[in-house]
Amino acid sequence: MTKDKEITCIVCPIGCKILVDLDGKQIKNLEGNKCKQGIDYAINEALDPRRMLTSSILVIGGNWPLVSIKSSQPVPRDKVFQVLKEIKKIKVKAPIKLGQIILTNIANTNINIIATKSIEKL
Amino acid sequence: MKNFHVAIIGGGVIGSSIAWELSKYKLDVVVFEMGSDVASGASKANSGVVHSGINSPPSSLKARYCVEGNKILQSLADNLGFPLKWIGKYVIAKNEEEIKELERLKKVGIENCVPGLKIKNGAEVTEPNISCFAALWVPTAGIVSPYKFTMAFAENAAENDVKFLLETKVTNLIKHKDCFILKTNKGEYQSLLVVNAAGLNCREIISMVEKPDFNVYPCRGEYLVLDKKHSSLINSMIYPVPPKELGVLGVHITPTIGGNILLGPSAEFIDDTENKKTTREMMKTLIIEGRKIIPAISDRAVINAYSGIRCKLASPEEGGWSDYRIEESKQVSGLISLLGIESPGLTGAPAIAKDVVRMISQSIELKFKDNFKFAKIKRKRFSEMSVKERSDFIKKDERWGRIVCRCEQITEKEVIDALSNPLGAKTLSSVKYRCRAGMGRCQGGFCTQHIIRIIKKQFNMDVKNIKLRSPDSNLFFGRTREVRNE
Amino acid sequence: MSNQDVDVAVIGGGPAGLAAAVSAKEHGAKHVVILDRNSWLGGILPQCIHDGFGVEETGESMTGPEYAEKYISMAQQQNIGVMNETMVLHFDKKREIIAVNKKGIHKIKAKTIVLAMGCREKTRWSAMIPGDRPSGIFTAGVAQSFINLYNIMPGKNVVILGSGDVGLIIARRLKFEGANVLGVIEILPYASGLPRNVVQCLDDYDIPLFLNHTVTSIEGRERLERIAIAQVNKNMNPISGTERQIKCDTLLLSLGLIPENELLKNADIKIDEITGGPVVDQNLETTLGGVFACGNCLQVYDTVDMLSIDAKRAGKNAAKYNKSKKLKTSIKLIAGKGVRYVVPQKIDVAGTVHITLRSEKPQEKSILWIIENDKIILRKKLRFVNPANMVKLVIEIPPEVVKSGHKLEVIIDDKR
Repeated sequence: MTKDKEITCIVCPIGCKILVDLDGKQIKNLEGNKCKQGIDYAINEALDPRRMLTSSILVIGGNWPLVSIKSSQPVPRDKVFQVLKEIKKIKVKAPIKLGQIILTNIANTNINIIATKSIEKL
Repeated sequence: MKNFHVAIIGGGVIGSSIAWELSKYKLDVVVFEMGSDVASGASKANSGVVHSGINSPPSSLKARYCVEGNKILQSLADNLGFPLKWIGKYVIAKNEEEIKELERLKKVGIENCVPGLKIKNGAEVTEPNISCFAALWVPTAGIVSPYKFTMAFAENAAENDVKFLLETKVTNLIKHKDCFILKTNKGEYQSLLVVNAAGLNCREIISMVEKPDFNVYPCRGEYLVLDKKHSSLINSMIYPVPPKELGVLGVHITPTIGGNILLGPSAEFIDDTENKKTTREMMKTLIIEGRKIIPAISDRAVINAYSGIRCKLASPEEGGWSDYRIEESKQVSGLISLLGIESPGLTGAPAIAKDVVRMISQSIELKFKDNFKFAKIKRKRFSEMSVKERSDFIKKDERWGRIVCRCEQITEKEVIDALSNPLGAKTLSSVKYRCRAGMGRCQGGFCTQHIIRIIKKQFNMDVKNIKLRSPDSNLFFGRTREVRNE
Repeated sequence: MSNQDVDVAVIGGGPAGLAAAVSAKEHGAKHVVILDRNSWLGGILPQCIHDGFGVEETGESMTGPEYAEKYISMAQQQNIGVMNETMVLHFDKKREIIAVNKKGIHKIKAKTIVLAMGCREKTRWSAMIPGDRPSGIFTAGVAQSFINLYNIMPGKNVVILGSGDVGLIIARRLKFEGANVLGVIEILPYASGLPRNVVQCLDDYDIPLFLNHTVTSIEGRERLERIAIAQVNKNMNPISGTERQIKCDTLLLSLGLIPENELLKNADIKIDEITGGPVVDQNLETTLGGVFACGNCLQVYDTVDMLSIDAKRAGKNAAKYNKSKKLKTSIKLIAGKGVRYVVPQKIDVAGTVHITLRSEKPQEKSILWIIENDKIILRKKLRFVNPANMVKLVIEIPPEVVKSGHKLEVIIDDKR
């Protein structure tokens, strides 16, 4: 069974609408892109969409109540809310250093959660 | 249940000035205010004009209180420390026809004993951005900040032991023997006398004990506030000749104490006393009307808009004009009502308050307190200080050196002082109206987070309970990440 | 009052101020000081916890706080002085700055000043949105600071007005924090933000985008209860009969940014009415000699990358400033047909000039011309222009053009 998927290209500000003709995990046809860069993006987006994830985690005893964090790699789009749920559960003690790994293998994704800000201890 | 001598319903300018007059005597006085601060209704949302008395017919109460209030205002400002500026006003005639109207106003003014009135021809008008045929110059018109004016009375009254119950709405009033029982959302209170200064709700209060013989016709007035950078457009207030109908003064242009310019008010009879909406149509109309007076006004200059509601006792069909009614109920003795107190009520309030105290003295013997505390004269604002004063203040208290509102140059100390008011009002608006933080062109973009930080730190409030202006106007839904044991 | 003399005083410690200060130091300025009103450096960056910063500048994608810390550590390494929680009250034509903090009043005599005050958000009243005045109306940036810095939740059922990147990013952020984002309203026929953000912030979470719509009324006497939205016509006026209500407790405004330049009034520095920033020359020097401008107080940038690149030039030029070299003749650079504005607004030295500009409307294929009288200085094909995306050019201005004294006109045309 084939299925058409419309993908808005994000490579540049034009935002081409690329139509991907998908048969299971096979790309049968692809149209609407104005440049070559759009092809790779559309294929990835159609088969395995992933997103960088940023949020924040509660801090105990720091000069700020929250520390901003990011995922070490893009997270599969359908796991975003599972990862967020884990993030909301935890707290971390100050001091925290930028780049510090706060959680490893979050929600069994093999992805780590990394602090993007330094927090001083109060 | 606490017993009071006098219970005042309403913490507007009328209720607050009466409370202040009464605070000079050995009495237990309470003020019930349903808002989160005093001056929550029409007392806050008006032009802030000290009227001279040229607009009300001779022998009316409006004229009498206005002229009397005007005369005593300067000494009150000196004693209570609220800002007052005698900037004068021009009523401008656009053509020869309108000069007749100026002459009529002048005649009324002279009959009301308003001094210094003069009709000037267009060339004599000392306002470079105004062109007119002729204008009536009214030197005894001035401006106050209407909320600071009200707060000055209320706060000094509170310092002299008048009890202010904020967010307290009187839900029922019962005369029981020689006494009134006041039911509120915060419990029951008893008082010998009741002063109904509930403004737009004056009829609702009377209805609790007797059938009112009048109606209230709410009349909404919308305003636009212009950025301070346009303050040099005018030096004095500029009024058109009053429109013939509705008993209002017409859209005028008024400098404010804070340095902005006000454009308004409109006049629109509405059904709902609480409908303080601003409307797209009226915003446009105000700009158009304003441009008739000053063509240079641009809608890009607008930094805020609001409306206030006049308490009128006459319908538009009846012409919209009626005099004040200040009277003790004939059926229920001990209930003094102040009805239809619209413009020039701000100017007249101190004189009205003296009269109400005179009425009270007929039921209760009044004795002066020997420990009456005069208002601590308010310190200068940081923005008004010299470099030396600033340095000295910062040396004494470093919080004078931390500016939290950039547009208005308000310091952390001024915000803390505002939050420490004797009324216990702690909303964001209570801060804004006391020290102007958040009143500038960015409308709180920078200072809001600092004020919230100060409220949390200095006053240990849960963020859930921080409000914008009124009892249910909470700003936040708690934490993004719940902190236990907060 | 304390007194100090500095080589370069930078007003504002956000990304522009940091980049300018670091660059000034690198180019030989000895004593560089940053004055900032907050208790931290980086300005708005610490609350922009999403990623995508730095790609154009360094090739590496960073989050806002990471980007800020990178520059902060450079500033620390270079011994740049920092006065934080310090508000500049004014400065004058002699480049004497008066600032205040908890230690007192400070007079700072600067050889050169770099302006990097940033911008503020437009409010409800700049869009003249009528109705009640309840709580629950925040500008997007203020809401973002509450959520990301202060751990405070400003709303549960939220509508966002304005589809610029700030509006789109806050939509996703709110969704992540469990809020119900009911829609993003945009008065234009297209989203103002990048396609990337439309896809990843709205489409991913099925957040509706209402194009050609605006908010016509706000209702709620205490907390916001509902808003009315309506479709707009070509003149952006609401079409009657298209109004509908949305129940919500929060309205976030992402209406655009206004450069913060109130300080310039006292020093009599000329402002460009369109950019809202000071008029500058090719060195980013304002109409007051020795005072340079960069960042969002010069013009509102799309990305921090482009902003930092320009800010570094401002810092470098401030460090190298030499009053005596200054020529008196200058030519004007003017926004012509199809161009909303051009920075710099004037040129007084021939050579390489960096130009930034914005088009008036979106166009698929167009040609950019720079013309002196009828002489073509530059003709360049543009692939796609959109007012939301700044156009950046580097051109060579020959000496005879500067000598001519003629103005240069910049045009974007779809023909020819």
